[in-house]
Amino acid sequence: MADNLPSEFDVIVIGTGLPESIIAAACSRSGQRVLHVDSRSYYGGNWASFSFSGLLSWLREYQENRDIVNENPAWEEQILENEEAIALGRNDKTIQHVEVFCYASQDLHDGVEEAGALQKNHASVTSANSTEAGDSACLPTEDESLSTMSCEMPTGQTPSSDPEHALEVNDVDTTGEKENHCDDKTCVASTSEEETNENVPTVEDIAEQPKQNRITYSQIIKEGRRFNIDLVSKVLYSRGLLIDLLIKSNVSRYAEFKNITRILAFREGRVEQVPCSRADVFNSKQLSMVEKRMLMKFLTFCMEYEEHLDEYKDYEKITFSEYLKTQKLTPNLQYFVLHSIAMTSETASSTIDGLKATKNFLHCLGRYGNTPFLFPLYGQGELPQCFCRMCAVFGGIYCLRHSVQCLVVDKESGRCKAIIDQFGQRIMSKHFLVEDSYFSENTCSHVQYRQISRAVLITDRSVLQTDSDQQISILTVPAEESGTSAVRVIELCSSTMTCMKGTYLVHLTCTSSKSAREDLEPVVQKLFTPYTELEIENEEVEKPRLLWALYFNMRDSSDVSRSSYNDLPSNVYVCSGPDCGLGNDNAVKQAETLFQQICPNEEFCPPPPNPEDIILDGDSLQPGASDSSAVLEANSETPKETASLGNPEEPSE
Amino acid sequence: MSMEDYDFLFKIVLIGNAGVGKTCLVRRFTQGLFPPGQGATIGVDFMIKTVEINGEKVKLQIWDTAGQERFRSITQSYYRSANALILTYDITCEESFRCLPEWLREIEQYASNKVITVLVGNKIDLAERREVSQQRAEEFSEAQDMYYLETSAKESDNVEKLFLDLACRLISEARQNTLVNNVSSPLPGEGKSISYLTCCNFN
Repeated sequence: MADNLPSEFDVIVIGTGLPESIIAAACSRSGQRVLHVDSRSYYGGNWASFSFSGLLSWLREYQENRDIVNENPAWEEQILENEEAIALGRNDKTIQHVEVFCYASQDLHDGVEEAGALQKNHASVTSANSTEAGDSACLPTEDESLSTMSCEMPTGQTPSSDPEHALEVNDVDTTGEKENHCDDKTCVASTSEEETNENVPTVEDIAEQPKQNRITYSQIIKEGRRFNIDLVSKVLYSRGLLIDLLIKSNVSRYAEFKNITRILAFREGRVEQVPCSRADVFNSKQLSMVEKRMLMKFLTFCMEYEEHLDEYKDYEKITFSEYLKTQKLTPNLQYFVLHSIAMTSETASSTIDGLKATKNFLHCLGRYGNTPFLFPLYGQGELPQCFCRMCAVFGGIYCLRHSVQCLVVDKESGRCKAIIDQFGQRIMSKHFLVEDSYFSENTCSHVQYRQISRAVLITDRSVLQTDSDQQISILTVPAEESGTSAVRVIELCSSTMTCMKGTYLVHLTCTSSKSAREDLEPVVQKLFTPYTELEIENEEVEKPRLLWALYFNMRDSSDVSRSSYNDLPSNVYVCSGPDCGLGNDNAVKQAETLFQQICPNEEFCPPPPNPEDIILDGDSLQPGASDSSAVLEANSETPKETASLGNPEEPSE
Repeated sequence: MSMEDYDFLFKIVLIGNAGVGKTCLVRRFTQGLFPPGQGATIGVDFMIKTVEINGEKVKLQIWDTAGQERFRSITQSYYRSANALILTYDITCEESFRCLPEWLREIEQYASNKVITVLVGNKIDLAERREVSQQRAEEFSEAQDMYYLETSAKESDNVEKLFLDLACRLISEARQNTLVNNVSSPLPGEGKSISYLTCCNFN
């Protein structure tokens, strides 16, 4: 482990977000010697996903981060006369306005700890048998983080009342809960064959005892590793650039995906399902026959709108929303097309943009399922890691927890020639790829950033309950006032491997106009109810209850032009952090563009040789003797609806 | 998938400190050779060997760390769909044994609950330099409820046995699962399809 790094590479990549990881994979694949480092203890930077305890320690790290004082950098002595240094930043300033609320009852058994929790931020974890919850000091620190986190609001408007309410939850069983209990029971029955952890009481156990039929905070902690909480909430367009790249490069073999199962809309205070595929439209109970025909006709037109210029050319100058009003569509249908299919707003898109977005949506539909989107099992944070694996397979060297102090620039040529790492080691390279957040304030003094508002909620049921509790939904809530933006809601169920059974993980995202809580709380209040209100009004059981909530703002560097960074040598390339968009096209485009600057004329992530080609069969193998009817595969238990990207079939719709 | 020429397919993943002989174990088993020197296997994601056990064809897909263990930077996704883990240490290197608890924590965190873990002490051909006694390793593996075996990739000692025993256990586990659960019931987090083998036809 006290291994030394080689002192020379072709490409050094700093940061393990999605664009950096794709570039690292591409460079390594085309024969470049790649060093890929990240100062954090985890992969993905702001693209990462965390277990519950991982997320709490991520929050803590942000707190501690603020206190780092820059001591005199030791690397300065190493800079020679004909060299200059570009110091890299020491604290990450990309996350702000963090606020945490806990609504679930905190029936604290002392020392509850996530089963098998990994303290990622400590370099050496040595205890051999701490897999069981021990009497550690874990929880107090978490409490501390909860309370101090919410103090980070710039002004004194700390929302202290809500968490305190949450603590007051008592054990009185109400009729409302008994009704809910039935719902939960069916839920449990249908999922009880999923893996269970012997050490930890599962939802199944709890459901047998009506009095404890609720998720408590300590259960969330205990089952913490069931959570994979994305910092950035995205999905994959099934014909988007990322899917194409995953298939082309075979990186898809490292991940698995599920279809988003439904598109939802929020209209007149109600959540409803948007029919989008042909089958959906015909099966829809909410649409009249006339509406069905209207919608099909319009969608069919959108599929090939370019061929019918005469039908829309008069409307090119107006917004898509105005244009829809001129079409034979009821207000209901206009709403669906505008917000849920084109996923735009009244003012944002022109007719052409709207038609293009609608066409893209329809084009993606049916490749893998009934909606145009896929979600990676275990969360979005798997994706950068998959590309890192690819890079490593082709010889790339990986170092987490490894920070870089500065870039060394040769004065004469104006080119960057080396980095100096945290140990003072000088490592030479030809190209340097740096993620935006690693730059110091000196480098970024002229950069204008946008912000993304994010909320992460753990809830006890879906925003739209149906016979199946395993739905993955996307819901767009239009902006209420002009100047603010629509809020995108992605609700994940436990079979996406991102939350514990009996809970849902809900991600809210929008472009920031204020702090994340100010931007998103109105929508949260429309869709959810805090856990405590249940005892009072038990007739309103449709609204899911909030168990836990996190708000934060993330810096969006996706739109920053390279020229706004101060004094970067031409062989230093900048990768941006995540953007606010729903898909990942931005990251892929960026990666491909930068790759082509580093390796001109090289193919971008061509398929690797198939490992199957190097098979050496055992002596006993008799080819062709297998009786296919008797085939019993180890992986026959695979969730059927899990999409594998290997060899996609053409759409069935 | 029914076209594939095997009855079972298992994903086996190797972990353990750098230099304990993980790659050598794989190469010895799949190719029958002991690679001299540290020739990194560039571009090889995993090795495959199909063996026959009691008349059934078992395809073993064996994944190596791709060097990411060198600076303790293994990706979580590496563990995700493994049916079995081979946790390897070097009997002549105390340090590689002392790191085992750390590896176990990673397993607990990222691997499926039902993964089978085997502890392997490699390099028994260097017995005169042994630093970790067999008894200590046995006690440790018993405490952690793991199978335990000592091997020499160089002399080919116990290497076949390691993988074949593991294949037998995986078969009986797979059988039990199909008896306990009906085949269609999903078991997320374990034994999942390997993307490139399957095509998308659930539609």
